[in-house]
Amino acid sequence: MSPTEVTSDPAFVTGATVTVTDVSVWFGQVVALSGLSCSFGPGVTGLLGPNGAGKTTLLRALTGMIDPNQGSVSVWGLDPRRDRSAFTRLALVPEDEAVPPMVSARQLISYVAALHRVRDGKAVEWALATVELTDVADRRVDGFSKGMRQRVKVACALVTNPAVLVLDEPLNGADPVQRAHLIDLFRRLGDEGRTVIVSSHILAEVERFADRIVVVTRGRLAAAGNQRAIREAMDDRPRHVLVRADRQRDLAAALIGLDATEGVTVEDDHLVVSTRRTGDLAVALPRLARERSIRLHEVRALDDSLEGLFRELVR
Amino acid sequence: MSSVSRRSPTRVSSPAVALLVHALRSCLPPRRLGAVLFPCVGAVVFGLLAVAVSDSPDRAFVRVATTGIFGIAVPVAALVIGDAVLGAEIRAGTFHFTWLSPVSARLIIVTRWAAGTMVALVTIVPATAVAALVAGSPSNALPAALAAAVGASSYVALFIAVGAVTRRSTVWSLAIVFFVERLLGSALTGIAQISPTWESRAVFLSFANDVPTSLVRTGIPEGTSAIVRLAVISVVLLGVASWRLGHLRLSGASD
Repeated sequence: MSPTEVTSDPAFVTGATVTVTDVSVWFGQVVALSGLSCSFGPGVTGLLGPNGAGKTTLLRALTGMIDPNQGSVSVWGLDPRRDRSAFTRLALVPEDEAVPPMVSARQLISYVAALHRVRDGKAVEWALATVELTDVADRRVDGFSKGMRQRVKVACALVTNPAVLVLDEPLNGADPVQRAHLIDLFRRLGDEGRTVIVSSHILAEVERFADRIVVVTRGRLAAAGNQRAIREAMDDRPRHVLVRADRQRDLAAALIGLDATEGVTVEDDHLVVSTRRTGDLAVALPRLARERSIRLHEVRALDDSLEGLFRELVR
Repeated sequence: MSSVSRRSPTRVSSPAVALLVHALRSCLPPRRLGAVLFPCVGAVVFGLLAVAVSDSPDRAFVRVATTGIFGIAVPVAALVIGDAVLGAEIRAGTFHFTWLSPVSARLIIVTRWAAGTMVALVTIVPATAVAALVAGSPSNALPAALAAAVGASSYVALFIAVGAVTRRSTVWSLAIVFFVERLLGSALTGIAQISPTWESRAVFLSFANDVPTSLVRTGIPEGTSAIVRLAVISVVLLGVASWRLGHLRLSGASD
């Protein structure tokens, strides 16, 4: 199947399998989602946002685990909250580490398979092999590491052969090799025409597997589109770089003359440089320091965390 | 990622069997099993206490059983079992493995109740019969087991419903048993009529031998009527639990 085509509104895609319409969720006084609308189609979509942005709440609403206080969710035209047959096509890998006690990986996956009326026992073995847990399949899952538990949950989702697969921070706890394997798996599932929605708060990670990115901050949709559009949206905002150096006033004077520099603030023991072109600054700064024999002690992006970028994005 | 093993394919059972087996497993963790067995031992100890009562063995056992076994041991055992098969799973954040499936809420609840009842049938029910035997009242062993079976079954339904309604299921269950049933039920016949404690006690007293008339409570169903009443209570509670399960807000273990 062809990758998801984005409509004129980047929040929506043509041929959507999952549609979120004006969804609001609140817990007492805390608003977790506020009037969020978007859609997801075949391929891998990264759901990106800082911690506490509302990603998990959105995924729980998508899978019917919580009822939106306002708005609606549709998966293949069904509301998973009202129509349990939606779960024949929908699977979730939640972020929670909790697993049932006294159950082996094979027993747990077989249990999920049975509930979905998956009659073929080979599917269980395939799911175990896909997440590389065949060797420990008869060990109790409550004794597994965080990464292994994560893979068991992925296997539980895969065994149901879902058309829509929702994964909440699935790479948490995975070692680099498993991380690479899981990313490869997400890509493969997306290429098979499944709708794969993967949440993460790490932009670089999402870029490795997602065709499309939906950014959520403070319970609202901040941006949506392909990686380039998101990067451009982020790059379009001024970034702040802390520079600690000898003779910082001389360095400030030199930096202010650069095209890439938008402003320089001189503090007690450091400079804060504002720029929209961090790449150009990264090249020019050491050159300027070398030419003026200024020693650089520290160069650090002040708002390089995703949260900082998101704050800029929604300001 | 890796090749499929040469192991023969895993046998996948039907949803009902899978649900039943999964619920039975939830009672197996050592601490949970210990908590189930503790009131069973308590029931047998109550049987031993009856030996110390200066009355005929039958009358002594009936006196001890109505208060100790049907007022404490059976509700506590059923509470631990009823909580294990649903409430504990929801609290632990593992219920999504079951809930995110096309299986109906009704089937989930009925299989959980069936599993809980099965566990009760092999734990607290034989314990009450053993209590009668150690009390020297073998003729009351069968009535005690029958009353414990229907009482525990009804209690499991009650605690499943509580587990579906609230996350603090243990606290609420204890409150229902000791404040609503024991305290209010003692004074108000209307509450006793829908109370598993009082109804299971009525079942026991109807079929037991040598029952002191002072123990028989008027105004509530007795004998088979009490059994039918307990069945109706169970069905209503399971209906409430099924409805509630469909409206559950699963927000994970941490919330």
